[in-house]
Amino acid sequence: MDIFQDSPILQGVKAITHAFAEQVIRPAAARHDAEESMPWDIMEQAANIGMAQTALIDTMSADGPPEAQAAAQGADAPPGKKKRRYGRQLAAVGSEELAWGCAGIMLAIGGSGLAASPVARMGTDAQKKLFKDCLTGKDEHGHVKVAAMALSEPATGSDISALKTTGVKDGDHWVLNGSKQWITNGKSAAVFVVWAQCDPSLGRGGVRGFVVPRGTPGLIPGRKEIKLGIRASETAQVILEDCRVPVEWMLGSSVPAGAQEGLSGTKKMLDATRPVVAAQAVGIAQAAYEHVLRRVQSSSLHGTPMAGHQHLAFALAEMEMEISASRLLVHRAAWMADQDLENVKWASMAKAHAARTAQEVTTRAMAMLGEEALEPGHPVEKWYRDAKIYDIFEGTGQIQRRIVAKELLGLNAT
Amino acid sequence: MDFSLDEEQQLIVATFRRFADEARKLGQHADESDDSGAGAARTALAKAADLGVGIDAIPEAAGGMLSGAYSHTIRALRGLELGRGCAGVAALLESNVEPALAAARWASPEVAAALHGALAGGALATTTHDALGRITITTAASGDLTLDGTLGPVPALADAAHIVISARDAAGPVVILAPTSAFTITPVFPSGWRAARWARLDAKAVRLPAAAVLTRDPAAQHELLSWYKLSLAARAIGVADFAMQCSAGYSQERVQFNQPIGSFESLARMQDQSETATLAGRFLVLRAAAALDAGSPDAAELCSRARDFAAGVVRRASIDAVQIYGGYGFVRDFPVEKLMRDARAFEVLAGDEALTRVLARRQDAATYAGAPAPAARS
Repeated sequence: MDIFQDSPILQGVKAITHAFAEQVIRPAAARHDAEESMPWDIMEQAANIGMAQTALIDTMSADGPPEAQAAAQGADAPPGKKKRRYGRQLAAVGSEELAWGCAGIMLAIGGSGLAASPVARMGTDAQKKLFKDCLTGKDEHGHVKVAAMALSEPATGSDISALKTTGVKDGDHWVLNGSKQWITNGKSAAVFVVWAQCDPSLGRGGVRGFVVPRGTPGLIPGRKEIKLGIRASETAQVILEDCRVPVEWMLGSSVPAGAQEGLSGTKKMLDATRPVVAAQAVGIAQAAYEHVLRRVQSSSLHGTPMAGHQHLAFALAEMEMEISASRLLVHRAAWMADQDLENVKWASMAKAHAARTAQEVTTRAMAMLGEEALEPGHPVEKWYRDAKIYDIFEGTGQIQRRIVAKELLGLNAT
Repeated sequence: MDFSLDEEQQLIVATFRRFADEARKLGQHADESDDSGAGAARTALAKAADLGVGIDAIPEAAGGMLSGAYSHTIRALRGLELGRGCAGVAALLESNVEPALAAARWASPEVAAALHGALAGGALATTTHDALGRITITTAASGDLTLDGTLGPVPALADAAHIVISARDAAGPVVILAPTSAFTITPVFPSGWRAARWARLDAKAVRLPAAAVLTRDPAAQHELLSWYKLSLAARAIGVADFAMQCSAGYSQERVQFNQPIGSFESLARMQDQSETATLAGRFLVLRAAAALDAGSPDAAELCSRARDFAAGVVRRASIDAVQIYGGYGFVRDFPVEKLMRDARAFEVLAGDEALTRVLARRQDAATYAGAPAPAARS
């Protein structure tokens, strides 16, 4: 099976997103990296061509636009044949291309999807409407509105079950207290999906999500972080101080805590999003590889073509092998998610492999380019800094290996 | 075989270990300031001058501190400590050594005296090696040179008055000493070594007199690069050492899944491998330094191997440190984020050492031939 040759839809998405990345994202990447600024104008352009922040909600809502539902459910099947679903594969293809342009800008464009995903999966129609309404129009600065998934905490990186943020029922409200760390769009978001432990006796099952609009008393967007990479994507703290939210803002509020609607209910969601995150790492690796490939093809080393040096040629061959292997893992895991097949092992293998590949390719590419790669604004140096986060967020490399090992052995090795 | 340090060496280590803590704060200041590291650089140079840094390779007669032979072992020990403080500050403080030694070795007495006098008076000099042939050097019949191309970024160049350029022209290797005023110097502020006062050098038909050539002897160029690479290697191991110190402490503090993350076998192994590599790197650096000091024929080879190995060690240790810190490792509030940015220069300055080594083996197969391979079993 050839992933792209078999599917005009995937081919089309790849072509469109690549063109957008090449013409719009790549030229602005160095500036937003240097300024550590959100690419508001690009986010608006992306929304205008259909990469809307609410797209995921639309695909899972009864009242979503027909074209959005059709794309996710598969509209290219001949009469009489089973429809092929593409949602995760489309996201993987598009994410790789956008991250090829700039991973930080890609995350700024798609960051709201992290919050939209649990709302789409677990939200009531009223919650979906609340979420979408919060993202409608422009904010006070004239920017497109964004959403934030507020899950990680200062003491809780990989160990999500140890969340310290609490939710305490008080009549027809929940009162949220705690602090959140490394929250994408945490400073600017118009709406937050906040996760809190509402019933410690249930462990992970007691962790529940809440849709919380900006301006809700007690929800305080915190300090923006200065980061190693992905600087066009905003990361900030979020503080919750006696933040009172109506009970109907709790995701899956119609069922009791622990009944698969808490954080444990998001496991499948993570299995679906991991290949998409992994695809971004593939995009970074591909970008660095292409840059150094062009250099080797066009340059000489003291009079000898660089391409004639086996040391360099084999390094390129190694990059190509690892990138291709990562991409195949990504698409296998995404395809399984689209087929509702159990993909947990494949999603983690894809994420871990792609993250390692991105780091190794960008590091090697810098060494091959020499001092030039230290120039401020040099794309390969930026990609080197951007790549590292893919071994940390959405589950570290160690967490991915823990998941794969558990799939193999049936227990959590320590 | 005695690997212990003598009294003088122990004093050097203790002194620069204390200074490294101060250098680390200056490096952080340079990271956060918007003055391109100028303020931190001034402070670092002033404080280090009290320790003799910057004039340690200048003969006493010219106002420096050098009496007798220069000790690369002492310099390596200093580099190991300075690297633990701040790679950018360390690069700035070490930048006078190669020009001072090169002038003493290969320049005319007048040129050497002028350079040494200037450096003793507080001027800066720096060194660069054009590994990829980015600059074109044309030599006229008179011996005068014409330079075209771009070099860098080069650490310390933004403030340097003199530069040693190691390159090649049609005749082979050439080492040049030139005033930086001959070129267009553009200060730049890369993401790593931000206190190092980097700049780019542009040469457009820049003419230099024949006297600017320090040497065309390939062995001399190797020697110059050996000094440079050994210093890079020592500082790289210093950075790796500090990265591991950070990782070791944090991995015991940070608890996930009800246990310190350092107690997970995968992270324990990760840290252990880095510690082994750093220890090996330290031994290689000191072995290469001893070879340089003894004038051993294998000194250049050992310095190249030390640099190649150390670049890999600091790359792995800094990336692993960020990994161990997790999300905190990715933000500037914690020290390891800077270490990962700083690590790259050790691998790319003066060219990719792995490629250099491959080319050396290819061009000089006889040196690397070793003993004949044992015959196949009959």
